[in-house]
Amino acid sequence: MTISAVLILYGITSLGFIVYLFLRKEALQMPLRILFISCTAFHLLFVLTLWYQNGQLPMESPAQAVNMLVLFSSLAFIPIALRKKTAVLAAFFLPIASFALGSIAPLVQPGVDLLSGSYQYWYPLHTLSVIAGEALFVVASTTSVVYLIHERIIRKGSIHSAMSALPPLTLLDSILYTSLALGFFAISVGMILGGLWASALGLSFRSIAPKVLAGALMWLVFGLSLHQRFAIGWKGRRTAIITLIGFVVMVLLFIGINLAFPDSHGIRLI
Amino acid sequence: MDHICCISINHKNAPVDIRERFRIEPTDMLSILGKDSEAYTLNTCNRTEVYWTAIEKEMIYDLLERISGIDKATIYQVSEYFTGSQAVHHLFMVVSALDSLVIGEPQILGQVKDAYRKALAANTTSTILNKAIHRAFRAAKRIRTETSIGAYSVSVASEAVELATHIFGDITLSRVLVIGAGNMADIAAKRLKDRGVNTLVIMNRTHNTACELARELSGTAKPFESLEEELSLSDIVISSTGSQHPIITRDMVLTAMKLRKNRPIIIIDIAVPRDVDPAAGKCYNCYLYDIDALKSIVDRHFAHREAEAATAMSIITAEVDKYERWISSLTAQATIKDLFSLVDTYIEDQVRNMPLPEAEKAVVEQSLRSSFKRLLHRPVNFLKEHPGTTYIEYMRRIFQLDEDFSDRHKG
Repeated sequence: MTISAVLILYGITSLGFIVYLFLRKEALQMPLRILFISCTAFHLLFVLTLWYQNGQLPMESPAQAVNMLVLFSSLAFIPIALRKKTAVLAAFFLPIASFALGSIAPLVQPGVDLLSGSYQYWYPLHTLSVIAGEALFVVASTTSVVYLIHERIIRKGSIHSAMSALPPLTLLDSILYTSLALGFFAISVGMILGGLWASALGLSFRSIAPKVLAGALMWLVFGLSLHQRFAIGWKGRRTAIITLIGFVVMVLLFIGINLAFPDSHGIRLI
Repeated sequence: MDHICCISINHKNAPVDIRERFRIEPTDMLSILGKDSEAYTLNTCNRTEVYWTAIEKEMIYDLLERISGIDKATIYQVSEYFTGSQAVHHLFMVVSALDSLVIGEPQILGQVKDAYRKALAANTTSTILNKAIHRAFRAAKRIRTETSIGAYSVSVASEAVELATHIFGDITLSRVLVIGAGNMADIAAKRLKDRGVNTLVIMNRTHNTACELARELSGTAKPFESLEEELSLSDIVISSTGSQHPIITRDMVLTAMKLRKNRPIIIIDIAVPRDVDPAAGKCYNCYLYDIDALKSIVDRHFAHREAEAATAMSIITAEVDKYERWISSLTAQATIKDLFSLVDTYIEDQVRNMPLPEAEKAVVEQSLRSSFKRLLHRPVNFLKEHPGTTYIEYMRRIFQLDEDFSDRHKG
């Protein structure tokens, strides 16, 4: 199993869902479901192979983290893609997933960017929690984009356009809330585990500060959107906008900090 | 021959506060109706129309002034006057719902029929208007069956339901509030009911009317005073009252949104003038659509509507032409000419089939012509002495001189 095969499957599935977005042919649903499951299963198989070949969880480099994020996001998207009303959301997620996977594909090969050294057993727990949280934020962000597009269509009254057959706003809001809440929980757990790990290794706060502060900022943005929802009833558009801002912050921090402070995080610190 | 004339006070020229002052019944016309004159009146929420023949135009304006209490100068400004084929064309447009606020709405035909029944009961219509109204019914029926323009009005209500579905998905659990008992609100409420909405609340200034509609739709009638409370509970609001001022203000929606913790609400305002302050649509998670917004959605949906409208117009033109031809045949001279033409055709058919030599056929033909001429002499003379529309109409019917009557005896 190679990353190229996984990438091709992602590309085909993306195209299939984009065609479905515009045509909305019921007959396409079942083949697309099978394609989506297959492409996620093959991706999982690829990661497991990588793990077996490298002998460690393939998450040491930013490229491998992105690979893992795409896999986790696809796993989180399975219940959405299988549901008739929400399957169309995959048409917005898969092209971005394919692009992300394509841009890091050369860096995710067995043996590439492999770091030696022991790390404590809960390091994977920290990273898995954080990646799971981030994957759920990917789901929330995709849902936010669809929410904002659909809301605009409804406000303009273009409900008969090709793009208008999107899930109803209340359903999108419900997916948004669920993914935000679960993602926030996972990120919180990941941050606690990360703190414990750093403390056990005796790392100074200064050495990990850039990414911890960035993570805390992201955590605050998502926390804020959940708080506003419960405290003053922010539903729908405002939550979607905050989520998107949070997602942009997450992406910028990921790229920016890995470029500016390549050694500020991960097992390179050991 | 007397031409049809028409004065129309409608939604295009007269605001509601003027329109509502005019309500003219056939019995009001009796005082100015002469021996040979006819009159037909139509009152709906969007129009008041008077059609007549053989009455001075100014007498109608005087009557309208007396009934409405509005001075004639204003009536001239807010009314449209049609005469001859224009008046017939306008009548056909009105009956076919092509002149309605919501093009293709189905209610107008029923309203025209009700008004016609009243006119027949008051005996204010006769040959000319009866024929025109029947022709108008025929045009309306053709337009309804030959074009899809009728689907347009249902679509306005359907679009309201469709919009709600885009927001709420499954609307069966949504609470629907219908304010007012207008036709469009009624249709929209029925559409929602058809889609499985369980909780339907009807509200009207006249509580009994609300109770009637609630009974019809298996809903609940609530007093108008509980509007603010209902706004905070309902997910879909359809408003169609005759109020001159907004009954739902921005502040009311803001308060409701606070109480409902910003749960989305969709407000469909079908009333003209509008029932809901347009600023209310700016409130967070409030989706407000007025009749223009709904119509523009339907227009975009019905891309082929232009072609449908063109077909409808060609039907109207064809039916007006037929009526005009009938009107122009409605003179004693034209009827006598048609009668002899009929006789000629009949004789020619008979002689052609006789197994006789040509010379003998000519003799028989001459003899038949002479006999028929003697037979028709008395009725033709009677028609010349009494050239009234009624006798002409009878004569045309007895001898089936118009295509309309010929098919009655087939089979």
